Amino acid sequence: MYRKIAILIFFLISCVTLAQKNNKLSVFFKAVELKSTDLEFVENLGEARLFFLKKQWDSTLIHAANQINKQVLDERENNYAHFFKAYSLYKKKLFEQANKEFDKVSETFDFYERVFLYKGKIRLEQRKFKQAILSYRNALEVIEKDAMVGVRKATIENNIGLCYLHLKQFEKADTYLSKSIEGLEKKGDTIKLINSYGNIATMYYDQLIDEKAIPYFKKAYNLSKYVVDLDVKRRVVKNMAVVEENRKDFAKALVYRKEYERWNDALNNQNRIYETAQLEKKIAVEQKQKQVTFLQAENKVKEEQKKVYLYSGVFLLFLLGILFSSYKGKVKRNKIITTQKENLDALNATKDKLFSIVSHDLRSSVHALKTSNSALSESLVTKNFNVLEGLLQTNSAIVNGAYNLLDNLLHWALLQTKQSYFEIASMRLFFIVEQVTHNYKPLLLEKNISFENKVLKSDVVYVDQESLKIILRNLVDNAIKFSNQNGAIKIYTRNKDAHIELVVEDTGLGMDEMTRLELLKETVLLSKKKNDGTIGTGLGLQLCKSMLKKNHGKLAIESELEKGTKMIVSLPKHLQNG
Amino acid sequence: MDNVNILIIEDTTSESDRLVQVLTKNNYKVVGIVKTYKEALAAFYTSDVKIDIVIIDIFLNGIPDGITFAETINAVPGETKPFVFLTSSTDRQIFERAKLTQPFSYLIKPFNEFEILYAIEMAVEKFYAQNDVFLSGEEDTVISSEYLFIKKGKGLKKVHISEIIYIEVEEKYCNIITEKEKFVILISLVKILDLLNNTNFCRTHRNFIVNTEKIMEIIPADNLILLAGNYKATLSDKYKDLIKKVRTLT
Repeated sequence: MYRKIAILIFFLISCVTLAQKNNKLSVFFKAVELKSTDLEFVENLGEARLFFLKKQWDSTLIHAANQINKQVLDERENNYAHFFKAYSLYKKKLFEQANKEFDKVSETFDFYERVFLYKGKIRLEQRKFKQAILSYRNALEVIEKDAMVGVRKATIENNIGLCYLHLKQFEKADTYLSKSIEGLEKKGDTIKLINSYGNIATMYYDQLIDEKAIPYFKKAYNLSKYVVDLDVKRRVVKNMAVVEENRKDFAKALVYRKEYERWNDALNNQNRIYETAQLEKKIAVEQKQKQVTFLQAENKVKEEQKKVYLYSGVFLLFLLGILFSSYKGKVKRNKIITTQKENLDALNATKDKLFSIVSHDLRSSVHALKTSNSALSESLVTKNFNVLEGLLQTNSAIVNGAYNLLDNLLHWALLQTKQSYFEIASMRLFFIVEQVTHNYKPLLLEKNISFENKVLKSDVVYVDQESLKIILRNLVDNAIKFSNQNGAIKIYTRNKDAHIELVVEDTGLGMDEMTRLELLKETVLLSKKKNDGTIGTGLGLQLCKSMLKKNHGKLAIESELEKGTKMIVSLPKHLQNG
Repeated sequence: MDNVNILIIEDTTSESDRLVQVLTKNNYKVVGIVKTYKEALAAFYTSDVKIDIVIIDIFLNGIPDGITFAETINAVPGETKPFVFLTSSTDRQIFERAKLTQPFSYLIKPFNEFEILYAIEMAVEKFYAQNDVFLSGEEDTVISSEYLFIKKGKGLKKVHISEIIYIEVEEKYCNIITEKEKFVILISLVKILDLLNNTNFCRTHRNFIVNTEKIMEIIPADNLILLAGNYKATLSDKYKDLIKKVRTLT
């Protein structure tokens, strides 16, 4: 019976010790956290520390073990690692290993006093009371020197007393328990006081010193009325019940029993409520978790949407840029096209004008030929042979003019379409002049114009042969056209640095300054006919200028009215690049 | 001097008539007028007389068979002759093709007398690779392996090289003495020596080039060479060694 009580009381104490731990331990943990901040980033040890502070013992154990396996030489780190490991083992109730680990912590450890405390606790748990007392005494020594963090001297004394109690060394137990009670009474720690009262009562009860034991039981019982802890109340009341039972005061025992039952029920109830609360909490947590997950998902979706918006925004901007630049390009192109169109319109107008002039001239030529031909046939009919020669000559003159016009027209067209063969080669000017002027001998003769080719045989130019011939033909044709009867035409050269100037000089009508400048302008067609009966569209000269440009040559005119004109063509002496 | 023989390939009668008229007037001899590619080939390869120059109309019956003909005769390098293309169009593509039949001379219709003569001379010059002979006015002879083509008046004449007995050089001029006639040509000595290099001609004096085939007798004591047709040439000491290399007639 007594034994039963003793066990009960021991149980009570250890329970209380556990409960007490929750209140006081945080102080110790805070201290550990502060002292070891520098270890936060040490591999393994940092993690061990973190989990230690979070009170996740398995993880602490693993990381601490890893740290130890690293075999780091730093004593401080080792101490922490062993301490973490030992503490975790202790928490996992692997007392023997924990004890061994605690042994490995060296004296330099920041919380070395704790080691004694825990060793004591382990021994106590293992019921190795002597060793426990040794450890507790060590702890007590330390605590005497300077206060241990979050540990009360009274608690240790209580535990030592408890040990002696178990060893049945009641005197020593008495001393320590009394000391403990003294300390606790001073501090007014009700629960511990109850524990100590209980312990001391049990001690006396074990020794069958009832008169000493019972007041302590009563003290404990009385104190328990001010305590909320149902478990404490229950146990104290049960002790009282057992005590009264043993005193055979069953009425009182019954009362205590009933109270015990009540507290038991209440405790159970509380436990159930607690369980329910736990369950509710769990559900609430789950719901919260669900909400959190949902919110996270929502956030994710929102983020995705944001991304989509961003990308599409960038894309739209890009598109806008492209559109803008293409619009700009289009505007620019349109501008170019407009100018080109204007140019083309102007050119087309010129061409139309040319067309009308040419066809008009041709028509008048053909018409003249028709009239002349009918005159010819009439003369044949009337056998008036004297006029025949004159008529034929007129005819051939008309045809010549028309032919030249057509020839120029053809070359103009060929030049525009670049269909014609073109090869720049060395040419001896003299022979080309000879060949071209050969065709004009009859005309010169008819107008009685004297002609001289004064070009040197050594004059060599680099031009395309056909171009040169066309240019010369036109210049000579013009010279004859604008010459009077008995005029003179001379062709000669003037040697310059890089060019040879070929001059076709006549003693004809000449021209005024305005006409001269007009002629040198580009794309101007003259429809004015200075000499009646002859064709002049300005096409010939235009063709000359274009041909010359292609042959890297130039045209110049020197003229005086009624005195004559010098048409000056400068041609390259050497092969030009390009 | 002989007339230069010309073959005309032209399908338009009025054009060929005009050509014949101009050529004959300038002492060329038209040895044939053909109208098709086939006839042209037959005439070119089987003619009794040696054809010296061919005038080719590019378009025969509307197709550029003239160029085909030129390409054909050009295929055998030893057999080909100088030719002139005739065309009324300056179409670039046709010209580019015709140009491949080097050497390339052309004449654009309508043409006058001067132009045709000029084109023929150009063709001869280009063909024998002696540019700027007739036009420069400093020389008047183109030398081929068989003939001297000499400008005479407005046209060309030819002299068979084997008919030359000897050449007497006087500065820029050369007196050419053949069995039939004597005439003067304008050509540099260096050029004539160079061109006669591998024939039977041999220099006997600073001023004399002799056809070794025509040597009748050499009289070293008098520094004299007697030639066919009773011509005499001087043999100077400097060139006596050269004579030894030549087959000597006694």
